[in-house]
Amino acid sequence: MNEQLHRDAMLENVALYALGVLPREDVALVVAFIANDAAARKEYDDLRAAADSLAHVADEPVDSARSARMRERLMVQVRADAADAQAPFAGRRRANAVYPAWLWGTGLAAAAAVIFSFVTVVQDVALRGDLASAQRRSSTLQSQLAQAERIGTHDRQALTDLVSPGAKRYDVAGGAVVVRGDRVYLTLTKLASLPKGRVYQAWTQPKGATAMVPSVTFNPNADGVAVIALPVDAGRLAAVALSVEPEGGSKAPTTKPTFVRPLT
Amino acid sequence: MDPGVRLMERIRTRDTTAFEALYDGYHRLVFGIGLRMLGDPTMAEDLTQTVFLKIWTTPDAFRGGSFVAWVSRVTRNRALDVLRSRAVRPEAEIPADLPLEGALDDDVFRRLDAQRVRDALALLPPEQRGLIELGFFGGVTHQELARRTDTPLGTVKTRIRSGLRRMRETLGDRVSR
Repeated sequence: MNEQLHRDAMLENVALYALGVLPREDVALVVAFIANDAAARKEYDDLRAAADSLAHVADEPVDSARSARMRERLMVQVRADAADAQAPFAGRRRANAVYPAWLWGTGLAAAAAVIFSFVTVVQDVALRGDLASAQRRSSTLQSQLAQAERIGTHDRQALTDLVSPGAKRYDVAGGAVVVRGDRVYLTLTKLASLPKGRVYQAWTQPKGATAMVPSVTFNPNADGVAVIALPVDAGRLAAVALSVEPEGGSKAPTTKPTFVRPLT
Repeated sequence: MDPGVRLMERIRTRDTTAFEALYDGYHRLVFGIGLRMLGDPTMAEDLTQTVFLKIWTTPDAFRGGSFVAWVSRVTRNRALDVLRSRAVRPEAEIPADLPLEGALDDDVFRRLDAQRVRDALALLPPEQRGLIELGFFGGVTHQELARRTDTPLGTVKTRIRSGLRRMRETLGDRVSR
């Protein structure tokens, strides 16, 4: 009964993850559950499809002036980038240009011919000011996001791998070794908490080798969950193992391994 | 095939015309998600710029599947980054990012449109619909949803799961693989 209640609670969390409302601290537990349970993966796929479809609701008309302004901002940068790629030695000048040459040319021609009205010129200047301001805002935003992206990329890759239907799963006690491409993870959900001074240590056995190579040490969270990316090329591995070791890790296992899992 | 997928193939060859077509086809979606999540047109505009520039500079980040689903998730994750970087609200209220690679194939979103999804949403009881919409576009955690709607946490979880399942059933094989 308790097992079923726990499972129902976890499936509700799978729905939260599919919708994108799960807090970061709960993700490891839910991803490990999805990674280790075929029915949960099916549920996740179904609910994620429903959740993803919600994006269509946001596909609404954008004010035409705003749409044109955004397009202009974007294409200025894209055309400059494309031109830089074709003429790398002229790159610096182009990279610093806020507006394409044709825009300046248009302004000069208009001034020379005295065709445009004063109002038009004022609007043109205002537009350039808006563009420059938008360009500065965009630059600041991009530097802020670059920091977040560096942190997030690794996590996003791991999460993607773990819930992927195409990942290979090798069951172990309380979890699985998950392999996708050249990446390998441990997803463990029932690890006992360890006394102070002791840690779990992962071990990897390269193909053709007889000895285990020490890998990362870790402690599970309060729920006994650990989702660990092993820093090794999965294609070169014959087996993965886990043991309990002194803090700081060991060069060779000093206790009987919790598991030794051949990747076959 | 999703037109976005075809355009992405050309963008990889630095085809600016294809990029303009991609922008024309999908900027409403990107801006719309940004506006709903950030609540500010100027921020949504900047977000749109950032997302499309990222597509231009790193087109290989798209590895196939549904372009619409992918760009929606990229936009959503970027909006969460903005919320985090600007500390608009406490980190604990901002949910985890979504994986970008999907289990969905590109047929799924081709068979869907906004009206169909709105119709499916409209069939949900208001208490489920409200939580699902606020959850998807609000950039908040389920705890925050519970707080904002003054609903017990367990009820929020149950309603979200039931609502998504019902949507899934209503949309039927349109969201099947």
